[in-house]
Amino acid sequence: MGREGRAAEGPPAPLAVEASATRRGAAGARRCAKLPHGMDPSAADRSAPLIDIAGLRFRYPGAREDALADFDLQIGEGEFLVVVGANGSGKSTLARLLGGLDKPTSARHALGCGRDLLTDQGRVDVRRDVGVLFQNPDNQLVAQCVEEDIAFGLENLGWSAVDMRRRVDEMLTRFQLEDLRHREPHLLSGGQKQRTALAGVLAVPRRVLVLDEPTAMLDAVGRDDVLAAVSELHAEGLAIVLITQEMDEVVGADRVIALERGTVVFEGTAAELFADIDLVVRLRLGLPAPGALAVALGERGRLLPRLPLTIGELLEELASPP
Amino acid sequence: MSAQGPAPRQGSTTVGASLACRRVSFSYSEGGASVPALRDVSFSVPAGDAMALIGASGSGKSTLLQVIRGLDEPEAGAVVLDGVEPGAAGYAERQREVGLVFQTPEVQLFAATAREDVAFGPRRLGWSEPDVADAVARAFELVGLPQAVYADRHPYSLSGGEARRLALAGALAMRPRLVLLDEPFVSLDPGSRRDLVAILERLRADGITLLLVTHDVDLAWRLCEQRLVLAEGRVAAAGLWDFAGDDARLLAANRLREPFLVELWRRLAYAPGQAPRTLEEAAKALA
Repeated sequence: MGREGRAAEGPPAPLAVEASATRRGAAGARRCAKLPHGMDPSAADRSAPLIDIAGLRFRYPGAREDALADFDLQIGEGEFLVVVGANGSGKSTLARLLGGLDKPTSARHALGCGRDLLTDQGRVDVRRDVGVLFQNPDNQLVAQCVEEDIAFGLENLGWSAVDMRRRVDEMLTRFQLEDLRHREPHLLSGGQKQRTALAGVLAVPRRVLVLDEPTAMLDAVGRDDVLAAVSELHAEGLAIVLITQEMDEVVGADRVIALERGTVVFEGTAAELFADIDLVVRLRLGLPAPGALAVALGERGRLLPRLPLTIGELLEELASPP
Repeated sequence: MSAQGPAPRQGSTTVGASLACRRVSFSYSEGGASVPALRDVSFSVPAGDAMALIGASGSGKSTLLQVIRGLDEPEAGAVVLDGVEPGAAGYAERQREVGLVFQTPEVQLFAATAREDVAFGPRRLGWSEPDVADAVARAFELVGLPQAVYADRHPYSLSGGEARRLALAGALAMRPRLVLLDEPFVSLDPGSRRDLVAILERLRADGITLLLVTHDVDLAWRLCEQRLVLAEGRVAAAGLWDFAGDDARLLAANRLREPFLVELWRRLAYAPGQAPRTLEEAAKALA
């Protein structure tokens, strides 16, 4: 997780390329929705952040407090950003705003893939570039069978039957859903449902993928499947925003932000976050189990040289001489 | 429970109720076809014990909770509560002593205030107002929500963790002797999970029997001495954990991994069957 700068080098992302080749035309070439990372003809566009938000405030109708306040965030091409915070700290609100699903109450500026999130048209347009996957796949699957579900977004965008067929087949292969293509979504396992939902989100070529606790309802295998798919997408250059309550999903991230009452109160690496125990506790987060055990050992007088965040690191630290 | 108020405890020897399922089968209908969800499910939980109910999604875990609670009638077999057979005198009362906390129960909060929400169940049982007030106060206390702060709040104004605890309070207000929980930790932040673990440990200390559906094997291992593994509606294993034996393989076969502390013990070449339940115990052993 958490590599950066992949977009500028190496082959362009297959997901975006295929789609862009399908969709690119004289008009389409000017629109970021149609362009894979690294193929943007405009150098200025490439250096600009994908997401650029400053001084944003959001309040739900009738609420007494802001869900997001004084909120700043920049996300570059191909970045992997992990977002943590207590229940109610504004994470899901952020996912909805990034996806153009809610209107900011106010902001100095709020741009997503160059679209102005403060305007109705900007929010409609950004929905093409920014895909959002939510926690509960049952709320996101709409069609009678898996392949129809994956085609749903493309159909709404008016893709031709031929292009749509090819794109859906790609997605079925990509997410190992070929054997399930005719199955009713509600009869799938949790992991299969979430992969179907992910395939549907990504069938439309995206520049940013926002995942709101995508593994919360999955068993270990389903969770590993989804995380592996996300990691592969990132390696291909897609920018990822992963919102999670699972502290072991944070381990290894280059860039983590932590929210508290709608504001970013921490930004740094996973290792930096977990090293600040007081902050972790205040934000109602936790350490991954190996780190928590190391802290408990320290309280009993056995101090480990480094804070381990994985079981492998813990075993190394335990093996090192005191 | 009778219309006069909470049932006195003196009729039973323990606070918790024992549970036994005897060859329970259940199917639901799907587009005209009958899809088996539970097949010949047999297991028992002694009064006051905690059992983790684990298995892949779709293995029948939530269905089993519904059947035990009596929301669905088994096609075959019997759910024996506190030693009382279905149809025998007192069975309906025993069923009312089973509390079921649904997955994301906070979506079912509906009253105008937190207090009214928690009071709903006891009122429906016909308890007198003083008894209802008592039960509500105790339930708020049990889940760690100070009544003075929360009672008049609108349920929708609560954070996710608070709303989950309020929903649990609604179940606990009816003084259940057996509590069924369906994935209670899902989508809670780590701090709220720690709070909920403390609440469940307190229920255990009070002697209440727990059946806990979770895919969090670390918390299952910490909270429960027993486990029931369901696979495609059948019992793959029931009884005490057995990591000295086959449990690691059994979990892997059911899309789960072994608990962190069991893996750690195994990799440290200690007996995995002796792995500690809590990080504190592990630290004590390793310090």
